[in-house]
Amino acid sequence: MPTLTNFSDLLAAARETGRPLDEILLAEEAAERGLPAEQIFRTFRERWAIMKDSVRRGLVGGKSFSGLVGGDAKKVMDFTRGGDIAGGSLVAKCIAYSIAVLEENSRMGIIVAAPTAGAAGMVPGTLLAISEERGFDDAFTARGLVVAGGFGALVAGKAELSGAAGGCQAEQGVGAAMAAGALAFLLGGAPEVSVHAAALTLQNTLGLACDPVAGLVEVPCVVRNGFTAMLALTGAQTALAGVESVIPMDEVVEAMVKIGEAMPRSLKETADGGLAMTPTGCRIRNELYQIR
Amino acid sequence: MISLLDIVGPVMVGPSSSHTAGACRLSRVARALLEDEPVEARFELHSAFAKTMRGHGTDRALVAGALGMEVDDANLKDALEIAKGRGLAYALKPRNMGPEAHPNSVAIHLKGKTRSISILGASIGGGMIEIREVDGFPVSLSAKDPCLLLFYEDRPGMVMRASEIIGRRGVNIASMEVLRRGKGDQAFMRIDLDAPLPIADVAALKQMPGVHRVHVLDRVAGGAPIT
Repeated sequence: MPTLTNFSDLLAAARETGRPLDEILLAEEAAERGLPAEQIFRTFRERWAIMKDSVRRGLVGGKSFSGLVGGDAKKVMDFTRGGDIAGGSLVAKCIAYSIAVLEENSRMGIIVAAPTAGAAGMVPGTLLAISEERGFDDAFTARGLVVAGGFGALVAGKAELSGAAGGCQAEQGVGAAMAAGALAFLLGGAPEVSVHAAALTLQNTLGLACDPVAGLVEVPCVVRNGFTAMLALTGAQTALAGVESVIPMDEVVEAMVKIGEAMPRSLKETADGGLAMTPTGCRIRNELYQIR
Repeated sequence: MISLLDIVGPVMVGPSSSHTAGACRLSRVARALLEDEPVEARFELHSAFAKTMRGHGTDRALVAGALGMEVDDANLKDALEIAKGRGLAYALKPRNMGPEAHPNSVAIHLKGKTRSISILGASIGGGMIEIREVDGFPVSLSAKDPCLLLFYEDRPGMVMRASEIIGRRGVNIASMEVLRRGKGDQAFMRIDLDAPLPIADVAALKQMPGVHRVHVLDRVAGGAPIT
């Protein structure tokens, strides 16, 4: 029977049953939909295939719908191939792949929202990077995708995941937290470790404004997916090392909701504040929309 | 719990789950309610929806939904041109719906050859939507699960007769809502079902004395497809 309403329920279920997070979450989804868990997992495998394809298409390059962004993922990958990199190939891939998905999104290409389109980069970007670096097969990596989906669903039960309602913290913050939980899971962390990874990541995105230039999912959204992918990696790394979130995940989510409510509307996807209203942001908007 | 496949999903044409995929789904609901090929579509956009419309392809997505396209249809980005070819006239304009309205709200008016429909809805994140008004009746619809909407004359026994037709088929009612404009005036019933109702039973509902019209919404706004 469906019983999970928050992360504390999820951890209690993991403790009581000894089952891994993905199994608990798939069983929950199966019970609610009245479908076998294997059938739902097959859909996750299909979505994973589309996600990987969106990274591949994104790395090819090409300009966005507006012409404002495009080609940055390719730049990061090309630079990485030269070997002259700051953070090793895992870091480089996490950044490039996450940006690639968002560049494909900005060209009106096909992507998988996770949890939203503007935050669709971190989950596939980091999961593909880790699976390549560690030699994980698709069946195993897709189990991480289930964990990411479950974490996102638990947050979405308490908070609306849109920049318009909660700012960027509710989109990329949650996407990064989902990715962090999944990474910790794939790297063998216990259920508590996965939840700490998500909590540490989410709390470090609190207050993040949604202030897109000209209202487009381009600046800063596209490159930001590469940056928040790094937060996900940091979350997984610290939690796996035994760092715990002092504030439990369920309370971090509550804090996110309250901060979202307190944020002015100008910083919630209206393009009326922040980067969107800088002189350069205004100039780009005016040029794009031919406003004088 | 919210579906995991609504979070890792939808599979969609970019760039925005709220402003592209959600917008397309809202329009798809209006089209499903029209039950006809629309010849005219008018969209009134509130707040964030209006402000970032062109940049998010919201205009294309709304028109695409009115044309019946799904959120992962690669033709979505050419919807404005396709509408011209298919004889759909469209117009979009901003409308301030007040401080209480969800920032991603839109009113959609579709006109077919013989009838028209108006809905008001909001895109509430990650491609999920909520319909808040149908032809002036306040409702709360996600359009994810199978659902029936009945417009009828307010008189005794209507709820009983409708539920009898549904129950006879063994279909379970998940939840329902009954409203009316006034005693004996036009009334409205929303019935959420655990499974779709066969066409023959929908026809039986339509033939009930006092029923003006019955709409069927069967996962129009993508309860995530399970293959």
